[in-house]
Amino acid sequence: MTTKNHDIKLGVSLYSYQDNYYFHKHDLEGCIAAAAGSGATGIEAFAEMMMPEWPYISDRFVDLWNGWMRRYGVEPVAFDHFSDRGMWKNKELSDEELVERGKLYIRMAKKLGFPVVRVLHHEHIGRGISPYRLTDVKIVEQLLPLCAELDIMLALECHAPTTLHDPVHQQYLDMAERMGMPYVGLMPDFSMYEYCVSTADVGLAVRQGATREILEFYRNSQREAYFRGEPFIYEEIADQVEKMNPSDLDRNFIGRQNHMVGTGPESLEILEQYASKLVYCHGKFYDLDQDGQVDNIDYPKVIQALKKGGYKGYISSEFEGNRRMNDAGWVDEIEYVRRHQELMRKCLAD
Amino acid sequence: MYDKHILSDEGARSVWEDGRKVGYCVNLKINYYRGLPLCCVDEIALTVDGEEVDPETMYLQHNGREYPYLDILKDDFPTDFYWLFGEKLRVVVKKEGGIEQGRHTVSVVLKTRRSYTPTMVAECEKVLTFA
Repeated sequence: MTTKNHDIKLGVSLYSYQDNYYFHKHDLEGCIAAAAGSGATGIEAFAEMMMPEWPYISDRFVDLWNGWMRRYGVEPVAFDHFSDRGMWKNKELSDEELVERGKLYIRMAKKLGFPVVRVLHHEHIGRGISPYRLTDVKIVEQLLPLCAELDIMLALECHAPTTLHDPVHQQYLDMAERMGMPYVGLMPDFSMYEYCVSTADVGLAVRQGATREILEFYRNSQREAYFRGEPFIYEEIADQVEKMNPSDLDRNFIGRQNHMVGTGPESLEILEQYASKLVYCHGKFYDLDQDGQVDNIDYPKVIQALKKGGYKGYISSEFEGNRRMNDAGWVDEIEYVRRHQELMRKCLAD
Repeated sequence: MYDKHILSDEGARSVWEDGRKVGYCVNLKINYYRGLPLCCVDEIALTVDGEEVDPETMYLQHNGREYPYLDILKDDFPTDFYWLFGEKLRVVVKKEGGIEQGRHTVSVVLKTRRSYTPTMVAECEKVLTFA
């Protein structure tokens, strides 16, 4: 029996089981049971996926939920917020209305026992993606007093192509410090640490008509650069790609991936520096290889950086391979998550 | 990617009153990873056997409520009536005589507004057997 040398716990975002729910193989209780069965102790959920009473919630549902937490030996860890600015066809929600909706999520999280709300902040996937102004720093500022009252932490999901130390996130932390309300913190999504495109994306693009040979050459070049310990510079292989006569689909795919993955994974030194202050982590993955490793993220190193940096909190499996692979048939989400939890447990034990 | 599952073959049939057909219905599932308020629907355009369905004759039934289709497109439509993830939205088309029992080609164009993307347009076409 080894002594535990970290304070990291493992959860599952029920997002991972979306096909099981959508096709009525498992209801909410079944998804919680699946998460518990994978060995996880934390549950991340979002209301609009699996809680039909949203945006209101009955005491009866709260009792059911609490009963499930007890029966399956798990705890609520994160509740997901969305920023539906464009709710009407011809009119956007005002800031006041978006603040009110934000409060709905925070109050519901409190009722269900979630200590963290993943807030869909304006820059979570970088600037200029959404046609709407989402939950920006002015709106978060108006949510913090309620967070302070209810003791709810807002987690800013930092997603590729942004980084942890990106100034777009720092402005929120500065504002919270100025207000003396430290109820907003950073949450890395492991998509930041992708070193190559996933096989799940390659497969989908090929089924939609892209050229397998070109996409695999691109992916292999990214992998080779990573394992050589060098940044991936697309311009160095651009000539070779051109010689393979890429179609528009191939070019679009490469352009998009160059934007998302860039020259390689974000710095693990930065992750280690920030680790002790992080409030939550999304263990993002799309596919696993035959050795049980995530096919495009170096989990052993990412988790080592979190351990060394003293992260205290949950890492939740967030499987996104379902929506990239389910056009070709049933994706066994339950088995993917089980193997992913096994991988993370192993990384934590090392 | 749920686009090909928007049209469901479950529950397609004529709608009856007093022993005669007064319309027909098809069931739709949302093609997104979460439910959306009905006010986030930009358009549901139905075509049956090549003929466009008049939006004024369409009624939506979901989660114990019924809404005239055109109402959900109005500004100020309540934001708390959700099209639940994985659950069927029943579209009833009022039409004297309903639909002939048997197989019909149905297609739908579904446009939805999602919080951080512009309107997403999806199409789904299937041959459905109407009861």
